[in-house]
Amino acid sequence: MSANKKLTELKPGEKGRVVAISSCGSLRRRMMDMGLVTGSEVKLIRLAPAGDPIEVLLRGYSLALRKKEAMNVTLEVE
Amino acid sequence: MIRAALIGNPNVGKTEIFNHLTGLSQSVGNFPGVTVEKKAGRLVHKGQEIEVVDLPGTYSLTSNAVDELVARDYIVLERPDVIVDIVDGTNLERNLYLTLLLLEMDANLVVALNRWDMVKARGLKIDPEKLSELLGCPVVPTVAVTGKGLDDLTNSIVNAAGRMNTKGKNAIQYENDIELLIKKVEDVIRESPAFIEKYPQRWLAIRMLEGDERVMEQTRAALSSPQIARILSIIEAGEAAMK
Repeated sequence: MSANKKLTELKPGEKGRVVAISSCGSLRRRMMDMGLVTGSEVKLIRLAPAGDPIEVLLRGYSLALRKKEAMNVTLEVE
Repeated sequence: MIRAALIGNPNVGKTEIFNHLTGLSQSVGNFPGVTVEKKAGRLVHKGQEIEVVDLPGTYSLTSNAVDELVARDYIVLERPDVIVDIVDGTNLERNLYLTLLLLEMDANLVVALNRWDMVKARGLKIDPEKLSELLGCPVVPTVAVTGKGLDDLTNSIVNAAGRMNTKGKNAIQYENDIELLIKKVEDVIRESPAFIEKYPQRWLAIRMLEGDERVMEQTRAALSSPQIARILSIIEAGEAAMK
């Protein structure tokens, strides 16, 4: 069974596959440039103390995202 | 003199390689109108003089960020003889995105597969020969901090400068409906002889389809208004078909 979750709904250690990015314009472009595209696997590593920003593992490297950017990323979680 | 430009993601060891190649004798120059600096230096390799330009580190080549634009404009407008794409071997997947963008620009590319010592230490398996075959350009393993492989890299730069450009034959093929749109836009572009020398046409067409404002601006003068209108209608029809 798989369900869709926002990236911000993951707990540290959980992972999923990107199904949609609802940002637009240059922000969306930048996220895709960094390798965050449909089908890529993302694992939540940890959250900053206030829950913003968050650190994710993507394509073998760590990427930090603002919470409001991460809210726009929808993942399919097993 | 051979003109070579160094490019790569931020923090892959570009400037280390630059300093090794030029023996720290670089002068600092400014691009007009922007705060991002490019550094230029020279070296002589086997009697051949090479000017090396260190471009700002970048993940992509869109027109949204100043540093990316500096790098992109330099490659497209100045047309250096050789582009040296410095790739972090320990982070190959992300780094190769820029490599593919450069191939799409018809850049005469040499890939420096840097941090080769770390690749080995981490037990990662990369086959430089296979990578070279797939990309259609030379791939040279390097270790910037020790200078290992940099002699091979310089040899590759000289060799690449002396050979004909492979014209992006290994660049990305998109899905059929996208390729069709690219062809249509290219057909319009090709009517304007001003472009044929200056820009790679396929690259221009793809950027136009992306809605790249900088490209639209740069090409406005060379295209007639009916031509621009035709391109815009191709883009519009394409977007409508994909919704």
